Amino acid sequence: MADANRSQAGCYVVHSAEKGTAGPNFQRFPTMEEAVSAVAGQGSFNGHQQPSNLTKSNNSLVIAHLSNEQSDASQCRPRHRFYVDTHLLGSGGDGTERDPWPDVPTAAKHILSMAGDGKLNLRPNEQIVIESRKMFTATRLEKKKMRSQRIAKGVFFCMTLSLVIPVFAILGYLFVQAWPALSWDFVTLNPKRMGTEGGIWAPLVGTFFLVLMSLLMAAPVGVMAGVYLNEYAKDNWFNRIINLAVVNLAGVPSIVHALFGLGAFVLAAGMGKSLLAASLTLSVMTLPVIITSTREALAAVPKSFREACWNMGATKWQTIRTIVLPNSISGILTGVILQVARAAGETAPIIFTGAAIFLPVEDNGVGYWLPYTLKSEVMALSMHLYTLREQINNAPLAMQYGTAVVLIGLVLSVNSVSIALRVYLRSRKKW
Amino acid sequence: MASSNVADVRPNRKGSAFQSFRQLVDSVIDACEPIVEWMIRLSGWSAIVFVLAIFAFVFAQAFFVFENDSMIPSLWTKLDFVEFFTSVKWRPTSVVREQYGIVALLAGTGAVTVTSMLIAVPLGLGAAVYVSEFCHGKTKETLKIIIELLAAIPSVVWGFIGVAVLGPLIIDVTGSPIGVNVLNASLILALMSVPVIVSVGEDSLKAVPDSYREAAEALGASKWEVVYRVLFPAAKNGLLAAVLLGVGRAIGETMAVLMASGHKAQIPGGLLDPARTLTATIAAEMGEAPRGGDHYRVLFLIGIVLFALTFLVNLIADVVVKGIKGKQNG
Amino acid sequence: MADAEAVSKADAATPPKYSITAKDVSLWYGDFQALKNLTINIQQGIITGLIGPSGCGKTTLLRSFNRINERYGNVTTKGEITILGKNIYDEDVSLSELRKSVGMVFQRPNPLPISVYENVSFGLRVHSDRGELSRAKRDELVEEALREVQLWDAVKDNLRQKATGLTLEQQQKLCIARLLPLKPRVILMDEPCSALDAEGIEKVENLISSLRQKYTVVIVTHNMAQARRATDECIYMLLGEIIEHAPTSDLFLNPQKKETEMYIEGRYG
Repeated sequence: MADANRSQAGCYVVHSAEKGTAGPNFQRFPTMEEAVSAVAGQGSFNGHQQPSNLTKSNNSLVIAHLSNEQSDASQCRPRHRFYVDTHLLGSGGDGTERDPWPDVPTAAKHILSMAGDGKLNLRPNEQIVIESRKMFTATRLEKKKMRSQRIAKGVFFCMTLSLVIPVFAILGYLFVQAWPALSWDFVTLNPKRMGTEGGIWAPLVGTFFLVLMSLLMAAPVGVMAGVYLNEYAKDNWFNRIINLAVVNLAGVPSIVHALFGLGAFVLAAGMGKSLLAASLTLSVMTLPVIITSTREALAAVPKSFREACWNMGATKWQTIRTIVLPNSISGILTGVILQVARAAGETAPIIFTGAAIFLPVEDNGVGYWLPYTLKSEVMALSMHLYTLREQINNAPLAMQYGTAVVLIGLVLSVNSVSIALRVYLRSRKKW
Repeated sequence: MASSNVADVRPNRKGSAFQSFRQLVDSVIDACEPIVEWMIRLSGWSAIVFVLAIFAFVFAQAFFVFENDSMIPSLWTKLDFVEFFTSVKWRPTSVVREQYGIVALLAGTGAVTVTSMLIAVPLGLGAAVYVSEFCHGKTKETLKIIIELLAAIPSVVWGFIGVAVLGPLIIDVTGSPIGVNVLNASLILALMSVPVIVSVGEDSLKAVPDSYREAAEALGASKWEVVYRVLFPAAKNGLLAAVLLGVGRAIGETMAVLMASGHKAQIPGGLLDPARTLTATIAAEMGEAPRGGDHYRVLFLIGIVLFALTFLVNLIADVVVKGIKGKQNG
Repeated sequence: MADAEAVSKADAATPPKYSITAKDVSLWYGDFQALKNLTINIQQGIITGLIGPSGCGKTTLLRSFNRINERYGNVTTKGEITILGKNIYDEDVSLSELRKSVGMVFQRPNPLPISVYENVSFGLRVHSDRGELSRAKRDELVEEALREVQLWDAVKDNLRQKATGLTLEQQQKLCIARLLPLKPRVILMDEPCSALDAEGIEKVENLISSLRQKYTVVIVTHNMAQARRATDECIYMLLGEIIEHAPTSDLFLNPQKKETEMYIEGRYG
């Protein structure tokens, strides 16, 4: 039965039953070619000369290379896998899961020709598996892809988490450390002895005035500039330069703004180190925030609104005043509020233009509420934190943390107003 | 829809006296149109004015002195520019010979910026992809808000966190003798510049038309395949711009690095060495530099270098962004 | 051998008459019911048109055949859609494999913003492992697909050009071509000609006709004339229900239902 040469290398076994059972579907052949032919129905297999079928419960055919003694193919390693999908028409395909063959005889034909080309070499204990492809189910490749998708998603999630966790960790830690210092007195008392005692009232008021003044100057200019860029500016080289200028103004480092404020307002304009000079510096610095967000808010108003208004004979300004601005006011406000938050937190631009390390201020009366004039230097919360930490040696830690927490609290509450406004806005947006 | 909104805008008040008053006000406002339009124009141009003014004033302070109402070039002739750009020695207050070399400061800025970007870029882009592609509805909004909060924390508070919280932690973990160093400043800077990267990155992913995602999904691509086979190529310019904006932010940051970097003018040899940046130098020394003196002017000169650096980075970012927009429209 | 169980070759030799069958399919977007208890059988190897006024659910129905409507979330589907004998809402169905066999062409040509070549081989890349397909094999499949949609001559010299730079007609042909290397059994088309000019429409319609027999094509169209020209059978839908399903000539010449008659006469829709 067996060719002498080949039987040394063992024999080939066709195995079409469910895994591991050596039943009537288990048969030995001397060569792989004969084994494959039998599968295709050209030799005797299972006692009848018919092509083998793949069925639902018996969905794979195995051609294994075993030694003569072995009778169990379940230990064999699959070396080649081929797929058959009986739903397919025609005779195409390359036997992969992506592009299976339409039936077993076709598969056998291809396998034989591959074997003839020397592409299929089974070493002992290796097998060829012909599997039936189940319609629309995940292939091996796809299972692999789903795994890498899960991994990718997990990695991205961890990355996001690594940004979210510090926010809470830092805020929580600062708050815990600041807790001993936080009290009503801490907020309402003026700092004493270079800030090592007392509270943070005067810097708080100073920050308030700085923000207010810078807002008064930056908001009108910024909003009008936004209106110009979105409503008036045509797309020409000049306006492209303006756009570029806005982008770059936003990117100028805060310390360079400080130098500008020092050169322009403090020295050239003769304001000296003062509330006014510091506020002006802050307003130049925060201007692009307002311009950009105003522009975005205006751009969100649909063009059709304007066209409807122009069609009724309104001028450009009338259209802006009656249609565009009312429909974008909340967006503009969002930008203005963001400017407030940014100005409140800045330190660098005010260091040389108006911020004082420490000023003696009155503890009651008008001086308590209005400790500064336009020409006077001013204390600010951000500067105060810097002073307590870096300029003074013996400031109590809790007071440092307390100042940081009040500053963060101030900025974040202003920010959350802006966020709340935006969320509200989106929920009631009608177009 | 549009016309109904036009009607909605004016408050629908009753009372003829009031209405005629409103008409009067309206006509006055309309009569002001030319004035208002000119104010709007002027405001629009102000951005250019300010950018030019920033450069002009900083430049003037660096190079000219005002004497008898005329400007006299000062530093221009006196400063050794070769030394300025090539020397490592920053000794502005030396009694023997003052030396103004910014190489160490540039190295400090470089070290801190590069290290922080190595942390911030992967995290930022990863978070941008996660927020933009793998999240929906409430989760997405919440995550965006939290990352925005990260951006809202003032830089002096970041500096304080670096010194007071991160510093001791670094000493504990690494055993390094000082906690304020390149690593500290970079971690702080990374957290500070991540929000820009996330928000610009997310915007540029959002700008990729949904039809691309749909097309790829209809061909059987998984979400992750859509991200790296379709979205990354389509949004690469926007993502690059996001990175550049992050870099710009890192270069220009002052207070946080001033406090967290250790402030030592040397070329840092490793992550645990202290360093000093261009920005921090200005902030720390301007107060003590005698007005009009060489030290004072050199600090302004550093300001010009910084201005030029960030201008360049922002310009490239802008060109990159405009590049994609132009292509997508065309 | 359990012969009765066999997914037998004998059956496959005489192809199943129906390629897509839907049984009692209902679909909701949130609370809005877009499809109401549909039952249809779409024949293998012909072009079936879905017609009806805007909002009648024809696109929704089309998009549920490859489950791409699930992208938006908030979609509930009930009932059974069987494609090639397999219920596509079964647990073990992989969306990726489903969409490989059920290709889709969209209303606006949406080639990916990569090269023409990469567009056509995108599906192969997604569905084959790295190194599984040789370069030569891929080139061959890309050429075959582009030839099948009569685009090869126009782009063969410049396969590396960006696909978004082609004319709309070429783009839409490309969108059909990129399905073909995956050997889909069904091709779904959502108003594939609505973004094209008259000449483009003619060419793409000819192309669609040539896909007959090899693929089962389901096409949504607003254009009555196109439905008449290009389809073999038509399904008329109204308000999420199927009013009439008949061979195209019968439906247009001899509609059985009053609504169908009014629609094809242009009284509404």
